[in-house]
Amino acid sequence: MTEKFAYFNQLLLIYLKRDWKKILFWIVPLGSFGGAFVPAFSEITKDGGLIGMFYTMDNPALTAMVGTSPVEVAENYTLGAMYAQEMLLFTGLISAVVSGLHMVSHTRKEEDSGITEQIQSFRIGRQANSLAVLLEVLFVNIILVFYIAGVMVLFDAESISIEGSLLFASSIGLAGVLGGVIALIMAQIMPTAGGASGGAMAIIGLLYMGRGLTDVANPELSVFNPLGWIYLTYPFTENNWYYLFYLGILSVIGLVIAFILEENRDIGSGYLPQSTGRIEASRFLQSIPGLFFRLNRSMMISWLAALAFMGLAYGSVFSELQVFVGSNELISQMFQQENMSVEASYTGIITLVMVGLATILPIAIVNKLFTEEKSQRLNQLFAFKTSRFEIYWTNIAIAILAGVLGIFLSSAAFGLAGISAMKEASTLTFGDFIVAGFNQVPLVLFFVGLTGLVLGFVPRLGKFLYLYLTYNFFIVYFDGLIEFPEWVMKTSVQGWLPQLPADAFNATIFIGITVISLVMMVAGYIGYNQRDLIEEG
Amino acid sequence: MSIIEVKNLHKKFGKFEALSEVSFSVEPGEITGFIGPNGAGKSTTIRILLGIIKKSGGSAKIFGKDVWEDRQEIHKRMSYVPGDVALWNNLSGGEIIDIFMKLHGSGNKAKRDELIERFELDPKKKAKNYSKGNRQKVGLISALAVESDLYLFDEPTSGLDPLMESIFQEEVKKIKEEGKAVLLSSHILSEVERLADSIAIIRQGEIVESGSLEEMRYLTRSVITMESDNDLSSLASLEGVHHFTQDNQHIQFSVDHKAINKVLMEATKIGILTIESAPPTLEDLFIRHYER
Repeated sequence: MTEKFAYFNQLLLIYLKRDWKKILFWIVPLGSFGGAFVPAFSEITKDGGLIGMFYTMDNPALTAMVGTSPVEVAENYTLGAMYAQEMLLFTGLISAVVSGLHMVSHTRKEEDSGITEQIQSFRIGRQANSLAVLLEVLFVNIILVFYIAGVMVLFDAESISIEGSLLFASSIGLAGVLGGVIALIMAQIMPTAGGASGGAMAIIGLLYMGRGLTDVANPELSVFNPLGWIYLTYPFTENNWYYLFYLGILSVIGLVIAFILEENRDIGSGYLPQSTGRIEASRFLQSIPGLFFRLNRSMMISWLAALAFMGLAYGSVFSELQVFVGSNELISQMFQQENMSVEASYTGIITLVMVGLATILPIAIVNKLFTEEKSQRLNQLFAFKTSRFEIYWTNIAIAILAGVLGIFLSSAAFGLAGISAMKEASTLTFGDFIVAGFNQVPLVLFFVGLTGLVLGFVPRLGKFLYLYLTYNFFIVYFDGLIEFPEWVMKTSVQGWLPQLPADAFNATIFIGITVISLVMMVAGYIGYNQRDLIEEG
Repeated sequence: MSIIEVKNLHKKFGKFEALSEVSFSVEPGEITGFIGPNGAGKSTTIRILLGIIKKSGGSAKIFGKDVWEDRQEIHKRMSYVPGDVALWNNLSGGEIIDIFMKLHGSGNKAKRDELIERFELDPKKKAKNYSKGNRQKVGLISALAVESDLYLFDEPTSGLDPLMESIFQEEVKKIKEEGKAVLLSSHILSEVERLADSIAIIRQGEIVESGSLEEMRYLTRSVITMESDNDLSSLASLEGVHHFTQDNQHIQFSVDHKAINKVLMEATKIGILTIESAPPTLEDLFIRHYER
């Protein structure tokens, strides 16, 4: 037994030394995101804001996204209850994803690259690497727990107790451990590192969507969802510590399964067979567009399928939405005062969310071109008569196409499910949903243009565009909760675009952003055409 | 006692039989060349010897111990260099060498510095900025700077320039003189020929030839060139004569060693002016095994 894990402690020390910068960039932003919004939220609570917020959060659409709260009457809704409801699941989800990606990148990915083989040639135990990386993830999450809890307690805000803060932070930490364990299992099953991270993300994503559905339709079922356990701890209100115990037990069981799976497989292979390809390339594949379509194919298919599924899930909530408005006079008054239907504003918000997610795909497609470049695979293409013009614009076109298709699929699925859920009571037509989606097309164009621009001049910064997209989205998404000043709203592209169908279409802004996007694409091409290719081993 | 002792080794990947019948041994103070074409099973054999993939049948022992069960004991006295040394991109070459030496457990700092100088490696550079040859140097230095009794080299000089290749060869000879064992898998046959005492040739998962290079040369053919005033073409039909070519009075052919006496007797009857005989190169041996 000890032989299998021999010298894991040495590996752990080496890994901590190797990764300390990454760990710092992991704990501080994530921890601050999770813990440091206390003052901002405490601003909202002033002047009866808590009561308004209680009713806002009671909306099924928001419940589907952030989870439930144990508070049943507005008077009992405290700052802590609100903070836990709005921040805990999101932060826990990010923590699980980051831990999972780290896990795969230091286990399966190193196996694929050959580092594991080298490590295994020393007196190191066969499974010492997995154990060391797992302990590293555990270590990071423990530090994260104390960081978050510490930050929250420091603000000394009302109802943010020490016990609650610790529970809140521990839920996030254990979510990270669980994400790491899920990834470790997938690292054994899948035939490649890419498959392992994809599989782990898919499981986490499905659990997240699953609990969204059960939270709205039948909250009692969420108790059976490990991702549900994160917010069911209800810090600052019920303080259900025992859910942490569930998370811990599940992680240990998963860990044992992962180690058994690892023990019984050869290095570099998984339990699922590696798929083989065709003997000859099809005619389509023998062209530049065909080649790049193929390189992006599996990412495009899985992303588009996920978007369509999400549209269906959000659309099916419409019937609950009507019940919710009908049952609460205050809410229906609120909506009537602002002279818009709850369906229309829900459609606007959800479209915003879906288009935000649909924009990730085009950014990834353009960024992939840089990944190809770094790995020196483009050199071979440029050795033929292929021009940079062809490569650049082909990828820009694929990215735009993927983005528009993503918007169409998610809006159509959202509309179909929504209309069938509302039955005759529907105030919206299928066209309203599609128009609401296509109104946001400039967002896709803008990010394709921006990614192209970055690719042309500072390609290494490409990965940070996801951060800007996230920022973009958070500004408009939280605009309803936190009143941002007008200029802050204008730093977000989505802040410029009206939210259909509640708002009216604005042709000037639509065309304006489109033109800016096209200019960025062209400028990006000029940069791309004249800069040196970058090579990294 | 043999350092490596492999008997009837089998390995299956699903239905595919990667190794069907592999047997050979490596003795102390000896360099064994391990050659074969791509996909013949060289790397699979080496990975089984490393204990990182599990054999399906047969036995594989290093220092008399099972390569899977007693892996850890074995690895304390073994070094390995793959053909594609994989490195962590954001660490420097010097850092990675230190990590590898530490993980091995018996590194020698002075030896490390000496090797870095000999191989002209810049240890401050990040691994991602190294060329193929420089990455290979990192692997070689870490393997050569530690105390081991067995060295497994899988295409160790791929990407090295000829100067560095000869430094590597010198270092390997030193190891051999210290009585250590080396298994050298390589496609650079001239390198194997220069270094190896014995050879194992693998083909489609089977060892088709193994033994000392001298023995193998004897068992095969020599290439003979002759010159004569008379017509030597009648030699072409003799038993044991292959690849016969004639250019006026010059003829060249290869001949099985057991037939050499008969062929020479025939030749002297016709009358010859000059005769040259060359032993088969490793390349001749190798190609002979793969033509069939």
